[in-house]
Amino acid sequence: MEATKFTQKMVDCSLLDKGAASPFSPGDKRRGLPQWDKDRCIRCGICYLYCPDGAVYRTADGYFEADEKKCKGCGICHRECWFGVICMEQEG
Amino acid sequence: MDKYSLMVPNFLPCKEYFDIKKNNACPGCGISLAVRHVYKAIEGAIEKATWEAPAACDIFGKKSAVSIMRVKKDKAEVVICFDNEAGGKLEDAIAKKMPAVAVAQSYKYVATASPSYPFDLFDKVKKAMETEGKSYIHILCPCPVAWKFEPEATVKVGFKAVETLAFPLYEVGSGFYNITIKTMQPKKLDVYLTAQERFEKLSAKDIAQASATVEKEYARLAENAQPK
Repeated sequence: MEATKFTQKMVDCSLLDKGAASPFSPGDKRRGLPQWDKDRCIRCGICYLYCPDGAVYRTADGYFEADEKKCKGCGICHRECWFGVICMEQEG
Repeated sequence: MDKYSLMVPNFLPCKEYFDIKKNNACPGCGISLAVRHVYKAIEGAIEKATWEAPAACDIFGKKSAVSIMRVKKDKAEVVICFDNEAGGKLEDAIAKKMPAVAVAQSYKYVATASPSYPFDLFDKVKKAMETEGKSYIHILCPCPVAWKFEPEATVKVGFKAVETLAFPLYEVGSGFYNITIKTMQPKKLDVYLTAQERFEKLSAKDIAQASATVEKEYARLAENAQPK
């Protein structure tokens, strides 16, 4: 039986060097993008209020959407929504 | 269309001042959320605001590892401290001394705030901007990386800090001393401490000691505060 060797692997991280993050925009590596269920949404705006990055904006019909370039996928809106309307959908 | 008139952010300015290109914060950052609401409150004075990096800032004669923002507008001088408890000790987490020091140094308006209560935070910053002379605001910003919790729980942990009385929200000015968010039935301190993985190695004795300190601090605060 072969002895298993411990090898250290480089974690997938773009921030190891100074300035390495500058070509990326904040929303490049997120866990998921929030999606609103418009049938149940009461348009209270709690998601807008608690978004740390100001990514949630109000559309013309009064519902809310997340800006793809700004959203980092933290999931605060998903957790704070009173009616559980928001789900985090994985992309790609 | 307007079946519901419950739109919460109607009470806040809807313009975003937060510069997304310079925003390198982690997902779910408490400081990011606090700064966004502070910027909405100070509006015209954003360009005059100066930042001091952690470890370089000098507050009350002591070097401290918190981010400080200083704003000057007309006669108002506001110091806003964004505290994410980077030190990570239990003593730092339960008894905040800096607001008390600010009161002792005759600041005109001193308040504590939390980004979990955005309207409260907004009102306090507005009030500080209208006060003549120096004012100080201490904001407790939950940090998912240093406190070790899921990024989506940032706001919930902020609520727990206030509900367990570990970080009571109050304001002190000339002639008033108010607890702004009152908790009817305070939760046990465990609720706040166990939500963060950084405190997972605490013994029961430590927690008992800490909750005794919290109760003592809150009793002192409630004694000073005026009945509303």
